[in-house]
Amino acid sequence: MVEMKLPNQRQTFWKKIKAEKVLYFMILPTIIYFLVFRVFPIYNMRLAFFKYSSRESWTFVGLKYFRMIFKSPDFRQILKNTLTISFMKYVLLFPAFPIFAIMLNEVRWKGLKNSVQIISYLPHFLSWIVIAGIWISTLSIDGGGFNQIIGWFGIKPISFMTENRYIKWVLFFCEGWRSLGWDSIIYFTAILTINPSLYEAAEIDGANRWQLIKNIILPALIIPMVTMFILNLGFFLNAGFDQVLNFSNNAVLSSIDILDTYIYRIGIQGGQYSLATAVSLIKGVVGVLLVLGTHFTSKKLTGKGVW
Amino acid sequence: MKKHYKVLPQIILSIFLIILSISMLVPLLNIFAKSLSDPKASAAMSGLRIIPKNIDLINFKIVFNHPVLVKSIINSLYVTIIGTLINVSFTCLAAYALTRPNLTLKRPLMVFLIIMMLFDPGLIPEYLVVKDIGLMGSRWSVILITSVNVYYLVILMRFFEAVPKDIIEAGTIDGLGHLGMLWKIIMPLAKSGVATITMFYAVIRWNEYFKASIYILDETKTVLQVILRQFVVLGDTVKLIGQQNVFNYNELAKVDYGGLKAATIVVAVIPILCIYPIVLKYYANDVFAGSVKE
Repeated sequence: MVEMKLPNQRQTFWKKIKAEKVLYFMILPTIIYFLVFRVFPIYNMRLAFFKYSSRESWTFVGLKYFRMIFKSPDFRQILKNTLTISFMKYVLLFPAFPIFAIMLNEVRWKGLKNSVQIISYLPHFLSWIVIAGIWISTLSIDGGGFNQIIGWFGIKPISFMTENRYIKWVLFFCEGWRSLGWDSIIYFTAILTINPSLYEAAEIDGANRWQLIKNIILPALIIPMVTMFILNLGFFLNAGFDQVLNFSNNAVLSSIDILDTYIYRIGIQGGQYSLATAVSLIKGVVGVLLVLGTHFTSKKLTGKGVW
Repeated sequence: MKKHYKVLPQIILSIFLIILSISMLVPLLNIFAKSLSDPKASAAMSGLRIIPKNIDLINFKIVFNHPVLVKSIINSLYVTIIGTLINVSFTCLAAYALTRPNLTLKRPLMVFLIIMMLFDPGLIPEYLVVKDIGLMGSRWSVILITSVNVYYLVILMRFFEAVPKDIIEAGTIDGLGHLGMLWKIIMPLAKSGVATITMFYAVIRWNEYFKASIYILDETKTVLQVILRQFVVLGDTVKLIGQQNVFNYNELAKVDYGGLKAATIVVAVIPILCIYPIVLKYYANDVFAGSVKE
C-alpha cells in the first residue's frame, strides 16, 4: 500500500507546483538575487582557508589566517573596542527609549507632542555622511555649538572628535540623537495599545500618574523591552560600522577600531582578502549563533521570537 | 480624566521636551543657516546660530555649477529611482507569491530567506562576486547588490495578508491572473504598505555611500554621498574647490569651506526632507493619531 502511494504523492506534488508555476516565476527574481549576492559570497567564504593570488589560483593553507588573527594583539584590542561600543549603544543607551516613550505619552500638550515626534524621528532618515558632517561641525573646537555651551560653564573648548578619551561618548550621544525618537516608537505603540479600562479602574482606586506609570504602563513595556534587548544582543559584534567609519580619524582610530572597520581596512584597502574573510567568517558564525540563541531565548521568555 | 494631570509636572515635562527637541534640531538648523550665509559671515558664525547672516546663495551656486557634484547628484537620482523601482517590484512580486494560501513551497522558501537575512558573508566574499560577474565600476553594482531586503519583504507580507479574502475571490471569479490581481487588487488595497516600503527603500538608496565607494571608483559615475564623504568627512577640499568652474582663484579665496560643506550637506538632506512627510503619513500615522489598529 505504502509503495503504491508514494509515486502518487510525488505526482500530485509536481502537479501542484506546476499549477503554481506563475507564483514561482514571481518569486524568481528574489531567489536569483539571493543566490548571486548571498549564496555565492557564502561559498566564497572558503577563501578564509586559502591563499589568494588571483581569481584562478587559490592555495589551501588550512587555519593559517585564523592563527594569525588570534595571535595578533590588534585583534584583541579591536574585539575589546567592538564589545565596549556595543555595550554602550545596546545596554547603556537602552533605557532611554522606553523612558522617552513614557514622557511622550505623559505630555498633554498635543502640539508639543507632535512636534517632538516630528523632530525626533527625523535624524533616523539622514545618511551617516550627513550625520557625521553635522556632528563634526557641532563638536568642532572653533565655534562648534557644543563647545560654546560648555564654555558658558567655564570649560575650555575640547576637540571631541580627536580625543581618545571622548570619542566613544561622541559615538554614544550621536547614536542617541539619531535613534531616540525612531527606536522609541515600538514602546510608544505598546503604551497606546493598553486597554483604557485599566486606567479607568486604577483611577477609581485613586491612583496618581506615578502609580499609573509604575503599575500599568511599565508592565506593558516589559515584553517589547525584553524583545528589543535580546535583539540588540544579536548585533553585538557589529557595533555600527557606518557610524564608526565616518566618525573615525587617525587620532582616535585605535580606540574605536571595530571588527567591521578592521575588515574594511585590511581587506579593501590592504588587499589581504583571505585574512579579512577569516575575520568575517568568525564574525558571521558568532553572529548567527548570537541571533539564534537570542531568538530561542526570546521565544522562551516572551513567547515571541525575533522574527 | 484630565483632572488627574497635575500642572507642575506637566510644565517641567514640557520644558524638558522643548529643550531636548531644540538641542536635537539646532545642529541641523545651524548647517542650513551656514549654507545660506555670506562666506565672510559664515566663517566666524556661532555654532548655535540658526538664522542665516547676510543671506547669500554663493555656496549653492558653486555646488550646482560644480561638474563633479552635479554629475554625482544625477547619478544619485538615477541609482535611487532605478534602484527603488527594482526593490519595490521584486519585493511586491515575492510578497504576493509568498502570501498565497497553500503555496506548496512556502516553508522552504521562507527558511531560505531567513537564512539569507541572518548570514552576512562579509565584505570580501561579496566584493569578489561583484568583480567576478563584471559589475565592478558600474552603477548596476550598487543598484543590484541591495535588490531585496527581507525585513521589508516580511513587512509587506503582513500588509498583503490583511487584504480581505472575499475581495481576492471576487477577483479570481472575474478572471484576473496573478499579475492582474497583484496590480489591480492587492497593491491598491495594501497602498500604505507599498508606500511605506517604497519610502524606506528610497531613503536607503539615496543615503547609500559605502557600496558605491568600493564598487564605483570612477568619479563621474559615483553618487553624491561618496563625494560628500570625501569633502565633509575626509576633508578633501582641494578636489572640490579645484574643479569648480564658476570663479577664478582670487575670488575663490573668499569662499568659506564651512559654508560650502554646509551647502553640500543641505543638498543631500533636501530629498529626505521632501520624502519625510510621506513617511510620517503612511508609517507613523497611527502613532500620531494616538491609536493603533491591531
